[in-house]
Amino acid sequence: MRIEHWLYALPLKFRSLLRRDQVERELDDEMQFHLDQLIEDGIARGLSPGDARAAAWRAMGGLTQRKDEVRDMWGVRWFTDLVDDMRFALRSLRRVPGLTVFIVLAIAVGIGMTAAAFSLLDALVFRPYPVPRPGNVVNLVSTSRDNAFEGFSYREYLDIRAAAKSYDGVVANSTIMGIGFAPDTKATPRVQAGMLVSGNYFRVLGVEPQVGRGFRDDEDQVQARDAVVVLSWECWKREFASDPGAVGRSIRLNGRDFTVIGVAPKSFPGMFIFARNDFFIPLAMAKLFLANSQTDFFESRDDRQLALRARLGAHTSLAEARHELAGLVGAFQRSFPPLYRDRGAAVLNQVQMRTQTGDVKNWKFSAIFTILALATLLVACTNVAGLLLSRARGRTREIAVRLALGAGRARLVRFLMAESLILALLGGIAGVAVGYVGIGFLSQFSIPSDLPISIPIRMDTRVLLACATLAMASAVLFGLAPALQCTRVELATGLHAADVDPPGRHRMWGRNALIVAQVAMSLMLLTAAFLMARGFQSGVERATGFRKDHLLMVRLDPRLLQYDSTRTQQFYRLLTERLCDTPGVSSVALTLNPPLGLDTFERIQFVPEDFELPRDRDHVTSSMDAIDEGFFETMGIAITSGRAFSASDGANAPRVAIVNEHFAKHYWPNGDAVGRRFRLEGRGGAPVEIVGVARTIPYRSTGEKPIDFVYLPVAQHPSARLVVLLHAPGDPLALVEPVKAAVHSLDPDLPLLELRTYEDLYRYDAIEGPRVAVRLVGTMGAAAVFLAIAGLYGLVAYNVTRRTREIGIRMAIGASSSDVLRLVLGKGITLVGIGTAIGLVLGVGVERLFDATLFDNSAGVDVVSYLIVVPSMFLATLLAAWLPARRALRIAPSQALRWE
Amino acid sequence: MSKPTDLVQGTLDLLILKLLALQPLHGWAISRRLKSLSGDVLQVSEGSLYPALHKLEQEGWIQAEWKLTENNRRAKFYELTRLGRRQLETETAAWELLSSAITSVIRLSEA
Repeated sequence: MRIEHWLYALPLKFRSLLRRDQVERELDDEMQFHLDQLIEDGIARGLSPGDARAAAWRAMGGLTQRKDEVRDMWGVRWFTDLVDDMRFALRSLRRVPGLTVFIVLAIAVGIGMTAAAFSLLDALVFRPYPVPRPGNVVNLVSTSRDNAFEGFSYREYLDIRAAAKSYDGVVANSTIMGIGFAPDTKATPRVQAGMLVSGNYFRVLGVEPQVGRGFRDDEDQVQARDAVVVLSWECWKREFASDPGAVGRSIRLNGRDFTVIGVAPKSFPGMFIFARNDFFIPLAMAKLFLANSQTDFFESRDDRQLALRARLGAHTSLAEARHELAGLVGAFQRSFPPLYRDRGAAVLNQVQMRTQTGDVKNWKFSAIFTILALATLLVACTNVAGLLLSRARGRTREIAVRLALGAGRARLVRFLMAESLILALLGGIAGVAVGYVGIGFLSQFSIPSDLPISIPIRMDTRVLLACATLAMASAVLFGLAPALQCTRVELATGLHAADVDPPGRHRMWGRNALIVAQVAMSLMLLTAAFLMARGFQSGVERATGFRKDHLLMVRLDPRLLQYDSTRTQQFYRLLTERLCDTPGVSSVALTLNPPLGLDTFERIQFVPEDFELPRDRDHVTSSMDAIDEGFFETMGIAITSGRAFSASDGANAPRVAIVNEHFAKHYWPNGDAVGRRFRLEGRGGAPVEIVGVARTIPYRSTGEKPIDFVYLPVAQHPSARLVVLLHAPGDPLALVEPVKAAVHSLDPDLPLLELRTYEDLYRYDAIEGPRVAVRLVGTMGAAAVFLAIAGLYGLVAYNVTRRTREIGIRMAIGASSSDVLRLVLGKGITLVGIGTAIGLVLGVGVERLFDATLFDNSAGVDVVSYLIVVPSMFLATLLAAWLPARRALRIAPSQALRWE
Repeated sequence: MSKPTDLVQGTLDLLILKLLALQPLHGWAISRRLKSLSGDVLQVSEGSLYPALHKLEQEGWIQAEWKLTENNRRAKFYELTRLGRRQLETETAAWELLSSAITSVIRLSEA
């Protein structure tokens, strides 16, 4: 019955909406027909045509009213009214183009900034994993006292996979920093990124290969047997021009032939948001790719290189999974007590994983950006609310007339809201454009790496949705209060004057609060920008003690060509000798990773001599770099006591180390670190003697808190993947060709990675990134200040206009110009004062937030920032109030009294 | 000005449905027919018929079509739908129940 009803009703409703003209015409025709018949009827009864017409009109009893009654029956009234409101609002906005443009721009800046910041936050935290049903994918991490987010070893993975009941499959993967890739046997290998994955990886994550197939479980069971690879979609497109025939072909990875069995879909670039990887390779092939040849990946229980993910079973809660994993790790502890001291495990969901692990600073940054951008939007909204309020008050008489003619208050509020809605929509659309610019700006972060690392910031549906929501919310925010207030008009007074205060003492309270909020917020934003700029600046200033210029760096990895360790060491020895003899090179150094380098520093576990370990632990850890004897000279890092490494610290010589000052002071506060020893890998490990202490410098980023750091001779801690640093008194880039020649004279096939000046790396960390951040926050601050100034100017100007007559009278009866100035300026100054005070409090809050999240700030409150920001803000706002106030002085009493 | 509501609540709908059940009619014809069938007792004011017609159309009980009259003029003819026929039956039954009840009450008081 109901369905049949809609079968008739729906087409009618659509028709009256979409073909409104025709429906209206038909209504006219229908009524006209009736009218004509009535008239004919009258004439037939003997009336004159004129009388008949008049009688017919009378009988119909108001044609327009009848039609309106009919329209009510169509049941689409609410919608057509809305459209009418919109049309009318558009028309009335077109009459004030300046105001409209200003409002739209203000909203656009607010929304665009927020969209850009949110897109970054979304990319870093919220965007779901690119797999079906991403919600029940969880991360398993191993925890220890020093590191809450470690991976698992291969053995542990097998045990967990076999024993855990909470999951519909557990997968493991390990990122490979560089794979030597050649499309065929003859080509010179290039370096690409890749990932080792367990055989069930695609199946458990629910990823269907676009072409070919995923791994079979048996392809991940026998070590080094199945040389098969799944390409990423990007790699397939780039290297094989999306040729389906690529499947089945043979490619060379790290010198071994692999058969391509499939291509991952475009929607699945991998689970990690930053690094795009080109190859998915079974874990069983790990020996070919992993850096650390000293431990046995497949056997060692504490070679923790695997990231574990799992799909929660349908009826399992996160808490149950956590409980189960804790039980499993407990069993490990009982079986292998020395390996599992202080070790635990955790199960984390996506957001926990992304916000608690890895480079936490990035997402905190973007969260702070988003908060600051929302503050900018709030300033814009309060500003627009103020503007609309004065506009609405200027329309008091118009509104009074409408009320007098019988318009309902709700109807009027709706009409005024339609205006706000249009402004917000326009602002939202323009905001998307601003957002695009902002995102382009944020994407300028280019990480100086050969491997494709990028933060996938983009304007996707999620961000657009956020924009739309913000636009609607701001429409309510800035539109509702003015609409409600200005429809509360006393008819009698409203009809008298063009502009009347609503009765009551708190009549201006709302506007004053808006101005105070704007001043306070913009002061806060400006302070934030300043603090950020100065925070980065002080980080850069403190980043001393090492050379940044006249250095060339290149990363080499002979493992890509299957060198064994003897050949690798021979290669580096010959290479350094040749480079030392190259004209224009003053010194050469080897390092695992230079200061501020893109690799993460390895960590060592050790037991320091003559140092009381806390009772509950049997070792401590520190970041570590392995270097050769030329390192300190080349990097210009001072040895403050003891000696640097020398060629005699070879593989068979007594083991030695150099520590930084922070390390030395940490463990031996009396300043006698040189000559002390520590044991690597626990109490029974090899003793290492400290032969020197080096200056503490920033290692991971400029502005970091000082950390413990140990240098070991690379001869005693061999590695294949090394960075060669060359110091050149001249232009380091002039050495590019000689370096290439030197490497290729030793092995023509070896790729050169990250060949660039060291200054590039330094500038990326210390200058480029911060510059983007400071500019972004600075733009927000500038926009907010501009809005606050415009708002204050508007308020005072409006007050002067409104009180023209009052001022005229006062002047006529003898008020001096300073009296008048005080009258119109006094309130502005009070508002600025209150706003500044609140803004100062907010600013200190922001500084606390920055100190807690971004900067190592030991200096406490940054007084200089406030000394610059507060007075300039105060002066600017005073100027904004004073300019319109001056107009009050020029009022001629005779003219003012004739007002209206 | 008498409005449809001056009739017993809902009876105008019933009358229109009944008239259209006999044959499709335009608004003018319905108004004449009402007048002639019921004398001047059930007079519906000119024009106030139309809101009722449009309401019935929205309910899906009648549907409209533009056709030529016998005088060769275009007019909007309404006819009963299947839904409307069922509605007519329901309303007729309800009306008969109501009127017989009222009649019997009135007779009681006269006796």
